[in-house]
Amino acid sequence: MSDVAHAHDDHGHHAHPTGIMRWLTTTNHKDIGTLYLFFALIMLFAAGSMALLIRAELFQPGLQLMHPDFFNQLTTMHGLIMIFGVIMPAFSGFANWQVPLMLGAPDMAFPRMNNWAFWVLPVAGLMLMSSFLLPGGAVAGGWTMYPPLFIQGGISYDLTILAVHIMGLSSIMGSINIITTILNMRAPGLTLMKMPLFCWTWLITAYLLIATMPVLAGAVTMLLTDRNFGTHFFNAAGGGDPVMFQHIFWFFAHPEVYILILPAFGIVSQVIPTFARKPLFGYASMVYATASIAILSFIVWAHHMFTVGMPAAAQLFFMFSTMLIAVPTGVKVFNWVATMWKGSMTFETPMLFAISFVCLFTIGGFSGLVLAIAPVDIQLHDTYYVVAHFHYVLVSGALFAIFAGIYYWMPKWTGHMYDETLGKWHFWLSVIGMNIVFFPMHFLGLAGMPRRIPDYALQFTEFNQIATVGAFIFGFSQLVFLVVVLKAIKGGAKAPARVWEGAEGLEWTVPSPAPYHTFETAPVVK
Amino acid sequence: MTDKRNGKYRTAVVLALFALGLFLFTLYTGLK
Repeated sequence: MSDVAHAHDDHGHHAHPTGIMRWLTTTNHKDIGTLYLFFALIMLFAAGSMALLIRAELFQPGLQLMHPDFFNQLTTMHGLIMIFGVIMPAFSGFANWQVPLMLGAPDMAFPRMNNWAFWVLPVAGLMLMSSFLLPGGAVAGGWTMYPPLFIQGGISYDLTILAVHIMGLSSIMGSINIITTILNMRAPGLTLMKMPLFCWTWLITAYLLIATMPVLAGAVTMLLTDRNFGTHFFNAAGGGDPVMFQHIFWFFAHPEVYILILPAFGIVSQVIPTFARKPLFGYASMVYATASIAILSFIVWAHHMFTVGMPAAAQLFFMFSTMLIAVPTGVKVFNWVATMWKGSMTFETPMLFAISFVCLFTIGGFSGLVLAIAPVDIQLHDTYYVVAHFHYVLVSGALFAIFAGIYYWMPKWTGHMYDETLGKWHFWLSVIGMNIVFFPMHFLGLAGMPRRIPDYALQFTEFNQIATVGAFIFGFSQLVFLVVVLKAIKGGAKAPARVWEGAEGLEWTVPSPAPYHTFETAPVVK
Repeated sequence: MTDKRNGKYRTAVVLALFALGLFLFTLYTGLK
């Protein structure tokens, strides 16, 4: 891409704070990327522990370990934290580290706003987590925050609304930064259609965030005023409409699903060509497919609400528009497969996670197609089939892509190769464990087991026991990942500038670890 | 490229105004 690497070490013209002040006051995109990634890692273990408690309770029918209300708190907080505290911050970490490096920019467009966008996040995270200690415990109405339950709860509900506001603000600031960086800070010669696909997917994701987060903020503001200021936006007794909340919420939350998966598409689109040693097949069609998915995501929201009652014409519209998303998604899957076709493939850990992403995300996509069929969805709504579907999308999709990306770029970030043997252990334990947890949930859902319950009928026992065993395998295998990351930070074989033989792009022209300041003089891209 | 980088404030302001407008519009739809 570039014939000259313009990387510089710190020139010493700034006195950098050290210790905690370095991290609190940093405006460096690499520092902030690291902060996002560690925040996501900590929250992954917090929300993952909640998942293990949920699965432990569900190992047997009947109530074993906890009060049903605490179970509801766990399912709600697990969802909220995994979405807003793990997947989104992890992708923001990737964006902060990689977007300027891939574009040949010295930093993000607004470094101080970048610092603020990160540091409000731990505040929101603490507010969410500390709500467990408040009278009445944490929120228990589901991550979807539906009224009337969400209007009736205690003080933790107000705290959660405030936390959601703060996390939304953080996302909007981050998105403005990313869009502005991509549109205004690219190296000379790096046209939009020459950008690495990861930058494209993040550009489109950032637009999605700006077009949806204010809608979520509006919805939770109305919840807040309904709770505290006597309004009746969603209170049927006062002339309001609780179903309106669902429409507004899902207008945000369906594009949110793509906010959680498009950057994953971007990471996989970087990893597969590297280890197939071939350029990405159908680059332009990948860009157009990503944009198509984003646009379509705004006209499908009511497929989450088929059971609330709506005219048949509306059901048909939302059913067919949802199915239409399979077309651009299929384009992407076929392009990844075509990239691998006749490639000189090797199977290092990032590639293993990327290939498992392609296979397992596709399973999640197909079960999504099943759920898109309105009459089928009415049977499967709020069953474990839905739980299986979105965990295939978000665990073997988003989370596995995050793992692929971390293994792929960690040598560039730390300057050390990770332990490949441990990486492969992490991969195989994760992929086997993940399938043991979530595949049986399809059968549970088809048999009619409802989600969000701490107890269940006897006939569901065996599949629940299998799922719980899988959950503990999957959960504890993440400790292997922690060891790999800590080992790579501490030391290991020195990574070269171009870590992977087949890697292309500006980030591989700078030394490993990437110096604190890079591309102070813009590279020229031919 | 200097010109393009100077445009970053305009890009950011347009995006921020869009977000603010959308937030207010959502509240307005609730009022109807």
